[in-house]
Formats: sequence, C-alpha cells, structure tokens
Amino acid sequence: MADVDDGAAAPVSEPLDLVRLCLDEVVFVKLRGDRELKGRLHAYDSHCNLVLGEVQETVYVVDEDDDGEETVKTIHKKSEMLFVRGDSVVLISPQGTS
Amino acid sequence: MSFFGFDAALPRDQGHNTRAPGFSQASDPFAGPRPDDDDDALDFEDTYDGLGDQLDETDDAFNDDTFGGGGGATAGPAAKQPVGKDFDFFGQTAKVSDAITEEQLRFTRSQPPPRAAPSHSSYQQQQSMSRPTRTGYERYQDPEYVQELQVDANLWGVAPKRPAQISAPSHDTPVTPGLPSGRKMMSLEEVEAAIRAQAKKPAASSAPSHIQPQIHQQPQAQYMQPQQYHDFPQQAQPQYHFQSGGPPREDPRHVQREQQSNQPVHILQRSQPPHVQPNVPTAPAQNSQPTQILQNPNRYAGEQQQHRGAPAVQRPGHQQHHSGSHHIITHPQQLANLSEEDRAAFLMEDAKRAKRNHKIFLLSKDNGLMTPQDKNFITRIQLQQLVTATGNPNEHGTDPSLSEDFYYQVHNQIRGGPRQHPGQPLSNFAQTYLFQTGGRHGGMRRQARGGDNHMQRMEQQVARAVEAAKNKPKNKQLVIEGSLGKISFSNAKTPKPLLNIKRNDSGADLNRPGSAARDRKLNAGVSGSDRKTVLTDIENVYNTLMQMEDHERHVPPPLTDDINPGLHGLHQDWNAREDKLNAQLWAHLKVHAPIGATAIHPFIAFLSFSKGKKSIPRVFRHINNEQRTTILTMIVVHLDQLDVVRQGLIQEGEIQLDSSSREKVELFSLAVMPTLFSFLNEIGLAIVTGLLGLVRNRTNIDHVARTRIGVSMLTMLLSRAEVIKPEADAQEVVMYNSFFDVLEPTLQHIFPGTVNTGEDAYIWQFLALIGIGASPEQQQRLVMAVKDRVMDTVSNAKTLPPAMSVQRLNNVELFMTSIGLSVSMLA
Repeated sequence: MADVDDGAAAPVSEPLDLVRLCLDEVVFVKLRGDRELKGRLHAYDSHCNLVLGEVQETVYVVDEDDDGEETVKTIHKKSEMLFVRGDSVVLISPQGTS
Repeated sequence: MSFFGFDAALPRDQGHNTRAPGFSQASDPFAGPRPDDDDDALDFEDTYDGLGDQLDETDDAFNDDTFGGGGGATAGPAAKQPVGKDFDFFGQTAKVSDAITEEQLRFTRSQPPPRAAPSHSSYQQQQSMSRPTRTGYERYQDPEYVQELQVDANLWGVAPKRPAQISAPSHDTPVTPGLPSGRKMMSLEEVEAAIRAQAKKPAASSAPSHIQPQIHQQPQAQYMQPQQYHDFPQQAQPQYHFQSGGPPREDPRHVQREQQSNQPVHILQRSQPPHVQPNVPTAPAQNSQPTQILQNPNRYAGEQQQHRGAPAVQRPGHQQHHSGSHHIITHPQQLANLSEEDRAAFLMEDAKRAKRNHKIFLLSKDNGLMTPQDKNFITRIQLQQLVTATGNPNEHGTDPSLSEDFYYQVHNQIRGGPRQHPGQPLSNFAQTYLFQTGGRHGGMRRQARGGDNHMQRMEQQVARAVEAAKNKPKNKQLVIEGSLGKISFSNAKTPKPLLNIKRNDSGADLNRPGSAARDRKLNAGVSGSDRKTVLTDIENVYNTLMQMEDHERHVPPPLTDDINPGLHGLHQDWNAREDKLNAQLWAHLKVHAPIGATAIHPFIAFLSFSKGKKSIPRVFRHINNEQRTTILTMIVVHLDQLDVVRQGLIQEGEIQLDSSSREKVELFSLAVMPTLFSFLNEIGLAIVTGLLGLVRNRTNIDHVARTRIGVSMLTMLLSRAEVIKPEADAQEVVMYNSFFDVLEPTLQHIFPGTVNTGEDAYIWQFLALIGIGASPEQQQRLVMAVKDRVMDTVSNAKTLPPAMSVQRLNNVELFMTSIGLSVSMLA
C-alpha cells in the first residue's frame, strides 16, 4: 500500500477519493460499538454509508463475571450483503491481500 | 317523555318528522293506547282525565324541565326554538297524513298534549285541540314579538347567517304586509274608507269584529285568536274554554307575552311604527272620530294579524302569494281551510326551508375564519409548489436532469417514451388541477356576484406564478467571490445543500495532469504498479468508460445523403470527443507502458484486480482493433505474469487452488477470456503465429501450461491456428514444431491435481488440439507423455457412476480421436 500523501500520482482531491480506490476491494471497516466489518466494498457515499458484500462482522463484547474480571468475547457474524449507515463508521481501511 | 304512560305504536306517528325526535317520542306514547280506528272522543277523554291532573300539579315549570332539553337551551325566550321545530313537525305530519279533515282533527287532538305540555297548560292543550294549529299559530305570532326574536338573534350571533334569516321575518313584518297582503291591505283601506265614510258602521266591517271587544279587553285573546278561528264548530267550544281558562294558565312564554303584550299591545296596535305606517292615512280618521278608536285597534289588530300571517306565508315560498294571501289575511289558522295539496305544499316548503336554514347554519359555523386574502395566500403557496414541482422544462437535455434521475432517463431513452421532458405531464397535471379547482370555485360561486371576479384573479395569479417560475434563475447556485463554496437555492425537488464544495466536474480533466505526472514517474523508472496507483488507474478507466458510454448516448443522428452542415459539424464534434476519450482511456489502461521497466507491467497489474478484469469487456467495446490487438499481445506476452497464472499453479500436495485464486481464475475466464476469444476469431494467421512465437519465446511455457488460464489461452491460440491452418506456410509449421518441442516436457505435469478431481476436461481439449496439429511422430511422443494419465483416467472411470464415467471417458476419447485412436482400443 502506497503512502496516502502521494498526491502527485493520484487524483485525490478529497478523502473519499481514497475510499473510491477501494471499490470492489475487500476493506476493513471499524464501527462504533466495538464492531468491525470486513467485506467487499460495493458502494459508498459522502456520508460513508457503505454497501459491503461477503461481510464478516466481529462484535466485541465485554463480559464481567462474578469476580469483576472482564473477559472480552467476540461474536462473529457473516452476511452476504450489508448496508452500513455512515454515522457509525469510524474508519475504513483497505484490507490488502490478507 | 313517556310520562304519559302510553305505548308507542301508532304507525301514523312514525311518519312524523324525524328531526324532532323528542316530540315524535312524545307523540308516540300518547297515540299508542288508541287503536288506529278508535273513536277520537273516547281516547281523548281518557287521556284528558289522567293528564290534566298531573299536569296541573306539576305546573309550567315541570313542563319546561321535561321538555327543555328537547327544545331550547334556556327556559324562557329560548323556548321559541322548539316552536320552530314544532312547526316543521307539523309540516311533516301534514305531509305524511293525507288524511281527511276528520282524521286531521283526531290527529291534532292526539298530538297536542305532549306537544302542548311544554308551551301551554294542560287544560289548554286538551281543550285547545289541534297542536299543529297551535304551532302554526305560535310560529305566526313570532313576527309580532320582534324584540324577542331579535334577542334570540343576538344569542345566535355565533352564526351570522342564521340569525339574519331568522330575524328576517321580524324585519319582514313591516315590509311584507305590503306585498302579500297588499290586496288585503287595499281591501282594508277600502274598508276603512268605507268606515270613514259611514262613520259608525265599524262592527259590520268584518267578522273578526265580534272578537274585537274581547281582544280589546284581553290582549292575550288576540294571540289566541287563531285557535278560535277553527273551521270546526266543535273546536269553537274549546276556544271559549281556552279564552276563559287560558289567560291565567298561561305558560311562562305566554305569561311573558302577556306581560309584554299587556303593555305593548297598545304599542303594537297603536304606536308600532311599522304597522302604523300603512295606516298613516287612517290615523287622522282615528283622531277625527274617537268612536273609531275602539274599532281602529281592532283594525290594527286585524292588520297585525295580517302581518303575522303574511310573513308566515311568505316564508314558505313567495310563489304561494296568491293562494296564500287570502287565507293568510283572515288567519294563519286558515291553513286548515286550505286544500290538502296547498297545505301540504305550504308545509313542505316551510319544512324544506327550515331544513336548508339548519344546513346553512351548520355549514356556516366556520364562516369568516379566513379572509379572501388568506385564501388567496394559500392558493398562491399551493400554486408555487405545483409549479416548482414540475421543474424547469428548460433543463431538459442538460446534465442535471440526467444526473437527477439517470436510470429513468436511460430507461426512457430505451423505451422511447412519449414524455419529452420531465415537466410535461406534471404541468398537465397542474393544469388539470387548476382547472378543476377553478371549476369548483366557479360552481360554488356561480350565484355569487363576485364569483367571476374571483376566478379571474385566481387565473391571473396562476399565470403570474407560472411566469415567475419560468423566469426564475436557472442556475441554482450563487458563487460569492472569495467564499469557499457556493450558496445554493433550494426548491421542493432539490433541497438546499448547505455547502457545495467546489469540485472539478469530471475526473478526466483532473486526472490528465496526474496521469502525465505518473508517466513521468514511470519514465523515471519508479514503479508504476504499486497498488494504489493501479487502483487509481482502474478508477480512471472506469470514469472514462462511463464518459464514453454517456457520449455514445449522445451520438447525433446518422448522416444522410443531403448535406447538412450542422449535422456534419455535430458529427465532427462527436468524433473528436470520441477520439479524445479513447485516447484518455488508452492512456489510463497503461498498455503502452514500457515492457520490463517495472517488475510487473502496469496493465498486467491492472488485470490483477477483479474490477480491472471486469472492465475489459467494456473497454473492448470502445477501442479499435489495433488497440485490441495490442492488449491481446500484451496479455500474451505477460502470460506468465498474470496473477491468474502466477497464482494458478496448484501447489504440491494440494488438490485445488485456494478460494481467492480460484475466484480470480473464474472471473478471468468469465470476463476476459470470452472477450479475447471473440476477438481472436477475427485475427489473421500472422498475428496468431506471432502470438505463439511470443508465448514460446518470452514466457515460461512450463508454468503457463500448468495453469488453467494458461492452457485455455494456449488452446485458444492453437484452435484459431488450426482453423486457419490451410493458409499456413512453412514458417508457421516451424513455429508449431518448436512450440511442441517446448511444450513436450511439460505434458506430463500438465494435468492439475490427481485423476480423481476430474477437472481436466480443458486439458484433454488442449491435448486434442495438439494432437490434431501434430505430425505422426509428434503424436507418438504425445501419447507417450500422457499415456499414464489416459490409462489412469480410463480405469478410474470404471469405478465411477455411469454419468461421471461417461463424461471422463468422453474427455479422453476426444484426445484419442484427435490422434486417430479410441478409448475402446485400450480396453
């Protein structure tokens, strides 16, 4: 992944142009509420509303047992297609080949 | 209401008016005890005994309480409300019952007690017989009590219209006498004249004169006169009773009248201006002869009665003047004398009128809430919204309209829909809407004097609104010098965006310098195939593709034989833009990037992304054959660099590719291969030979031949070569031979996975192709190379279910046939 500041090479005039490069690519999306998504980016808009395909969602849940010890549980969900409302998106990252 | 204790069974009563349920209920119980055909007198007396006592004890107040709810809200003056309804009720009754006079008499007798109870004492009710007459009488009397009526009108001030109409009679009293009773008036005048002439023969002037003395003594009696004037002799007796017993027993209303009338009677008769006016000429006569004073009051009383009667008749309908005037003059009670038809018509008219008044009253509740200005304001707002919703027709064909509902526009283009521009049907709708509105207004206001004027103003407003919408500035944005963004105007269709960041409208213009810079970088030897750059290229390609596809939609109509300079110019422009876009697309594809300058050629990197692969079919539509050949050559040259080939190699110990690689291969063979194949079928032998040479010389055939895409590509080339082989010359044969030589070592490893996978059909096809083109010596080597696999497959097929077995054997058979052998020979 090239550095983002390579302005000379890329017609990046706004941040979302970078997201555009990730169209049809697998992206990693972090959401509010301790959720993470990984899926193919099909569409997005200026509000960061996203449409993802073949999504794996990971939810982190903190369980507090009787002793007060906190254990983090992860819940995985899979969705074929997902619409993500933009106001919950924290970050979008190209996932690369992994 | 059933305190009389009678059942409700009389069918006749059911016909009574439904609008006064209270009274109908009251009438029902009373009428119940008597069978229809029973003698009236008997029933009457029976009822009379019981009711009379009770009602006497309870007295007026009780009646008021009982009936107050049904009638008016307040006790005294409001009691007139029920009077009106009673009258209607009577009308209904008369209408329904086509009874003869006797029946009517009986009917009236049966009716009055419940009805009369509220308004009159029991004695009066029973003795005074006909309730309807009563009601009619009271109704007629109303005009007399102008003051009371006006008070009521004030109470009803909430509803402006009704009071006006109700109070109208009061105003009418002075006026109407002239109209309906004009003839009568004249007669009176004549009578007066005669009286004046004869000085002392007043008594003979008219029948009412008998009663006049009574009236004179008891003003109340005047009001009761109508009752006295019954046609029926039997009723005449009760009248006298009534006269004697009535005055003391008067219910509050009558008491009021009495109180008022005691004083006002004189006023009414003598000093009331309206009544006096017609008699002005007679006034001197009065003065001249004091003896006439007695008579004059009578005359006045008679006149008043006329007045009373006149408005009453007038109310039902002015048409009835001639018929009603005679009856009216003598007395309202003479309604009974009227023919049944007349009476029914009269009552019907009055009922209708009351009904209509009530309706108007109900409707007029909210009258005056909005001024005409308010209404106009609302109308204007609605119109503006309508006009803005229709949009600006001038926008048609421009980009904004296309971008707003792209899919609809495209769909429409395909369908060739009738709608020329988005605004058309909507404006039709608007017109319809406006027309309808106008029509309704016109209908409603047809009678209104200002209706036309109002409509005209409406139409003018519409015209103005439409005009204003047309003239509205087309650009929806205002750029203020030195500001960061634009200020946008909003309309109903496109809400106002708060800030519109200025942005280069097309990625192409923006990208050109960028791509140039990248080219410089590439020339400088910097890797042009890093991920982000490639992704950017792909986006640019897609942008350009979309522009080209959009450009295609705007292709001008085809040139015709006759020379049309304008059209020609359009075509030139279109072609120029097409060329420009093509060059742009070609640049973004990076096909011409120097080979070997980077580890992976930019175009190959381009193809390594799935969206890059997907774009190939679209790209091929927009480029010429030369460019297609270039692309094909580029792919062939870098065959072993294609990701699908690089990663398409099944690793040792693995049965199949990992899922992501498999997907890529799948996509490549679905998106790219058919495109290339269809193109390959058009190219000549020279190019095919050249491509084969490239494969042999520049790629790792061993690697390529062991991947599915590689084999498919080779199959493609070889099959094309086979088709056009007849043209082949020695050079091609040499090429083929050398190719086979290079390929031969790989043949043993060409099969993916094990025999069991069964995904080797394409390999057999490839081998068959080679076998066809091979010389006998080469065929022998070919068989040697794949012999084991053939044997394994055949033996394996025997263990498989028939369907799969046949399939496998067919694959092998394809190859065996190509070299002149058969699977059956192996068995």
